[in-house]
Amino acid sequence: MKLSWIFREVFLGKKEIYSFGASECGPLHCSQKLPNEDAWLRLSGSFGLLAVVCDGMGSKPNAHIGSKIACLAVKESVQRWSKVSGAPISYLLHLIEVTWRLRLHPIEPDTAVTTCLFILVLKNKIWIVGGLGDGLVLVRTGTDLKVVVGEREEDFSNQTNGLGISKSTSSWSIMELPPTNKERIAVIATDGISDDLIPDQLDGFTQWLIDEFAKLNPYMRWRKLSNELKNWPTPQHLDDKTLAVIHAPVYRER
Amino acid sequence: MSNAKELPNALAHQTRDKANHDKEDNMSTLKEFAMASARPLPVMLLLDISGSMGTNGKIDILNEAVSEMIETFVGEDDFRAEIHVSVITFGGQEAKLHLPLQPADSIKWLPMKAKGRTPMGQAFSLAQQMIEDKSIIPSRAYRPTVILVSDGVPTDDWHGPLDQLLNSERASKAIRFAMGVGEEADNGTLNSFLSSNEARVFHAHEARNIKNFFKWVTMSVTTRTRSATPDMEVNLNPNEIELDF
Repeated sequence: MKLSWIFREVFLGKKEIYSFGASECGPLHCSQKLPNEDAWLRLSGSFGLLAVVCDGMGSKPNAHIGSKIACLAVKESVQRWSKVSGAPISYLLHLIEVTWRLRLHPIEPDTAVTTCLFILVLKNKIWIVGGLGDGLVLVRTGTDLKVVVGEREEDFSNQTNGLGISKSTSSWSIMELPPTNKERIAVIATDGISDDLIPDQLDGFTQWLIDEFAKLNPYMRWRKLSNELKNWPTPQHLDDKTLAVIHAPVYRER
Repeated sequence: MSNAKELPNALAHQTRDKANHDKEDNMSTLKEFAMASARPLPVMLLLDISGSMGTNGKIDILNEAVSEMIETFVGEDDFRAEIHVSVITFGGQEAKLHLPLQPADSIKWLPMKAKGRTPMGQAFSLAQQMIEDKSIIPSRAYRPTVILVSDGVPTDDWHGPLDQLLNSERASKAIRFAMGVGEEADNGTLNSFLSSNEARVFHAHEARNIKNFFKWVTMSVTTRTRSATPDMEVNLNPNEIELDF
């Protein structure tokens, strides 16, 4: 299995699906020598492929801990949930909430509030994308772009939803997508990015991610993306910035 | 790059790394998809230009105060937000948009003229429509500051429009200040407009106090734009900054 993967990667330059991401501390936290309150994670396993992006709520003292623990909670929850065939997605969301609180204990959840966005591609090629709180979750299948999380839930840069606030799994925005033969890409990002993206340029932004990063090796992807986030073009931007992508390209046979 | 050969290995590596980074910066097309301007911080002025404002030089002082405030906004360069200013006037028969919301540095200030009645309720309605319109104030904007200045009693129905302003989804989140000019100002209306119980109506007993109020508003706004949390309300004590009003 591993040898065939290496053969495909190295000799044919093919990959059915890959993920990448990066996180950069924003100018505000950097200048104050405070930690990046965003966290992200990508992982492949027997369940499939997972990418998670979390944004700790800035006004909370343990925000940077909450976001990191949320990434781990999603990882653990997906690993457990995926072992039970046919389990509803709502169980996964409950599991994430409870696992996050358990791992956080004895820190009070309301001091560590965080958003939680994820892309999960299961072994059976079903995609589950979505999340809780502000930021960006989009998925494009072929030319069909769907924004699962995008428009701010609250105006004027206030985050109002996340782990530690939400009382119900109905607060999550989740979309399940069936397997497809078309190219598919899903993007998740914290509001440090999504607030500065031009709303009618999301398709262009998605294509830019493919054009600029698909051809690079994993290290170069990470380095280039980190560089782009560090040199974010919007003037006087403040926030931490985190983005993760899962891309399933369609390769033409040679 | 040619100099890199003469440097120690580690330093040469760093130099090459930086050159590659610079190359990546120069080639990035990300800016095509990202906003080219900072997050806006809207400042909306609701200004009474009824006939009584034409007495004792009040309207002239108000014009000077607003003009100076805009100049200060333009002159500051340490902002984390782009200050946008709009002016709604109420005088004559109706409230009017005297200055559409726009970045302070693009404003060409046209002085206001005092005339007629005090249709304050219409000004509340116009302000509410603007704040609720996401094409005028986008979601990425910081909380707007709305400032009400009046020297008299409203001459139209203002209760309903003010209720709608205070209870609408977006406008209710605005930071609101009020100033009464002279002894005839309607303290009750101005009090109802404020955003918190701790806030108070400022009074300009003399025309020069109008300028001091606007200096205080200017300092409150610029303090917000320099702060780590521009969405938080800033309460500066006028006495501590030696402003008399």
